[in-house]
Amino acid sequence: MTQFLQQLINGLSIGSVYALMAVGYSLVYSIMNFSNFAHGGVIMLGAYFGYYYLTGAGLPFPVAFIGAALTTCLLAVIIERGAYKPLRERKAPFLYFIISAMGTSIFLENMVIATIGPTFRTYPEVLSRTPIQIGSVSIGRLDLAMFIISAVCLALLVFFIDHTKMGKAIQATAYNIKASALMGINTDLVIIIVFALGGFFAGIAGVLFGMKYTVYPQIGIITNKSFIAAVFGGLGSLPGAVIGSILLGVIETITAGYFSSQYRDLIAFVLLVVVLIFRPRGLMGKVTEDKA
Amino acid sequence: MDLNYISGILTLAGINLMAVLGLSLLTGFTGMFSFGHAGFMAIGGYTSAMMTVKFGLPFIPALLIGGLAASLVSSVIGRLTLKLKGDYFCIATLGFGEAIRLIFDNVQYFGGARGWPGIPHYTNIFNVIILNIIAIVILANLVRSKHGRNMIAVREEELASQIVGINVFKHKLISLMISAAYAGVAGGLMAHYMTFLAPKMFSLVKSTELTIIVIFGGLGSISGSVLGALVLTSLPEILRAFADWRLVIYGLSVVIIMITRPSGLMGGYEFTPSSMKKLITRIKNRNKDLPNQMEGGKTV
Amino acid sequence: MNILELKNLTKTFGGLTAVGNVDFEVPKDSISGLIGPNGAGKTTIFNLITGVYKVTGGKIIFKGQDITNMEPYKIAESGITRTFQNIRLFKKLTVYENVLTACHANANYNLLESVLRTPKCRKQEKELKEKADNLLEIMGLHDRKDMIANNLPYGLQRRLEIARALALNPELLLLDEPAAGMNPDETVQLMALIADIREKFNLTVLIIDHHMDLIMGICEKIMVLNFGCKLAEGTPQEIQNNPKVIEAYLGVEG
Repeated sequence: MTQFLQQLINGLSIGSVYALMAVGYSLVYSIMNFSNFAHGGVIMLGAYFGYYYLTGAGLPFPVAFIGAALTTCLLAVIIERGAYKPLRERKAPFLYFIISAMGTSIFLENMVIATIGPTFRTYPEVLSRTPIQIGSVSIGRLDLAMFIISAVCLALLVFFIDHTKMGKAIQATAYNIKASALMGINTDLVIIIVFALGGFFAGIAGVLFGMKYTVYPQIGIITNKSFIAAVFGGLGSLPGAVIGSILLGVIETITAGYFSSQYRDLIAFVLLVVVLIFRPRGLMGKVTEDKA
Repeated sequence: MDLNYISGILTLAGINLMAVLGLSLLTGFTGMFSFGHAGFMAIGGYTSAMMTVKFGLPFIPALLIGGLAASLVSSVIGRLTLKLKGDYFCIATLGFGEAIRLIFDNVQYFGGARGWPGIPHYTNIFNVIILNIIAIVILANLVRSKHGRNMIAVREEELASQIVGINVFKHKLISLMISAAYAGVAGGLMAHYMTFLAPKMFSLVKSTELTIIVIFGGLGSISGSVLGALVLTSLPEILRAFADWRLVIYGLSVVIIMITRPSGLMGGYEFTPSSMKKLITRIKNRNKDLPNQMEGGKTV
Repeated sequence: MNILELKNLTKTFGGLTAVGNVDFEVPKDSISGLIGPNGAGKTTIFNLITGVYKVTGGKIIFKGQDITNMEPYKIAESGITRTFQNIRLFKKLTVYENVLTACHANANYNLLESVLRTPKCRKQEKELKEKADNLLEIMGLHDRKDMIANNLPYGLQRRLEIARALALNPELLLLDEPAAGMNPDETVQLMALIADIREKFNLTVLIIDHHMDLIMGICEKIMVLNFGCKLAEGTPQEIQNNPKVIEAYLGVEG
């Protein structure tokens, strides 16, 4: 029982960071209907920026943390302008967006390898490694911090979407981009905001992941799992992305804990396929009938 | 640049081309996008290597069995996922591709994640070229038959296809199975060229590379796929001198191609004797009327 | 004899009843009309007949056989085809390719024969091409056969959609607003064309349209729908004098 509780807590902690990344995929999907595979690259760079602000520039942790998030926020917007806007203007089919995203992802990953090198880098110890003991369950300080920071970020996002004018504009645009444009919503601005939000959270998630594991150019592959989580929950649905992420995090840590960590990744992909077969639009996605 | 080097690059391009031709049928002619074709290559590669290494079968039958195995797996996958719409089908294939790779990671019979060395070196420039020519002829015959036209109709407009009596699901499945068979044969060629197999050779990056080649060459054009495979396989090899920077350039060029020339090199046109003739007459008559499009060259 | 019978046909979307308990018979070899205000459920009925939507309740009988909820392509094979209100051509293919593709059911060579290009395959391909040419000739589209379908003028796109439908050798042709966007001249031409192809191809035709001259001019039997329910049924004369129909179209006096 103790072991189960332990795994559950670890799973919640990882799942919440997945959620931070997954909302980035989902926000973009809800408006533009394509899977932004460049997001993984942005998260990876977030981890690097945090690392260099902390060790290279010697900034205090909170400053480095926010700094990394702001930098990836800017980066995400630049990617949108460079790799997607020209396609949007030409109303290209969704596959072109995906390929462009994959090109960007290849570019970012290899840019890091070419300039910084493929070596692993370890974050300095910001939080003490000694866990907090509650009864027989021990909780890592970092895991706890990951959970709290992610939860706060997600709460802020929900508030933003539900209670601000821009948030409402995002909802409207997700519902129908053409009609929204006709109603006087600046959909181009909405898209920038959506990428900025996704980028900001990507930075935060990147730093948290970098602290938890290490920083290396292929860290984006781990972030693919947050994408799976987004699909899991139903692409384009924010609650779906969060629920899918938490579920995936918990299932993964439990698989790793009880079976073998080798099967952890396999489980993620098998689960993805199974969910798609039985719920073609994910857990929270809506099913629509074709209109003739 | 010596001859060995050039024939090496051509062989690699030919292996890629085999997989690209298959994907071209699925993506270019049937309008479905797959990010799991590396998985089918893996199945074909491992199966055919098993046939030659463990059962001592000759090369060509082993290749065919590899293709068949990939095709069978694809038919199961297809039955489960072909009803999914656009993006979700794409994602499901991605999931399958990765799952196949991770399964091979754990199969110790094939050496698991460490890989499987000592596969005989059977693939060479000659058999690659001959097999590709056969593959191209089969594909060309297929796409100009009623089956091919039905696939193109599915690509253009699913609902209208059904209304004219086309079994959309069946044609998607056939297209997927043929396409997976091509990928399986390509995997077999690769196994017997590299003489080594490891699951990481068949990652998502490989699937993406194949899709990029198809789009680069132009959707719905076989000649485009050939051209695309030749250019995009040799490009990273030629750029090898730049070491780490070559993939940076590669990624960047993919984005630039997407945003500047989205219809690909051939843009749906083919190199055929009749289209060439028409093109030549167009050029001759250029002074009389300036056509902005080579409409007559379209043969699909 | 009736070629098509709708029995108690019902379709609901969530809580909304788009078509409710509709009974209707289409006599063989007739030209029949389906009219009603916007949103009355006319196109929904077409979508139910052709299998695009799943039926919620009731039955569709075609040539004495129950075709309710069959796959659309099977319904097409059995002899029903249609055109769409918002034209659905294979837009990027040529006029010729559009029709040639639809001719596919006239050939039966299999996949292997097509890959090997056997004599049987070549012969049948040649026949398909002749059939496509012939259809384009009849529909007056032959001089534009190499044009990309999407570049055709609107009226000709509607014609091409009919040509494509005829390639299937249908027995029942459903036309969804064939005269939409046409001027009176073109509408008259279209009427002549519909009458003409019925003779040539032994067709039964069911038309949805808002052009009353067209409907009253060529239909032998008309059904009026309102809010998903059948309001009236009869000959053009009967419909024109039916007070309920007049009320639905013009509103109640005073």
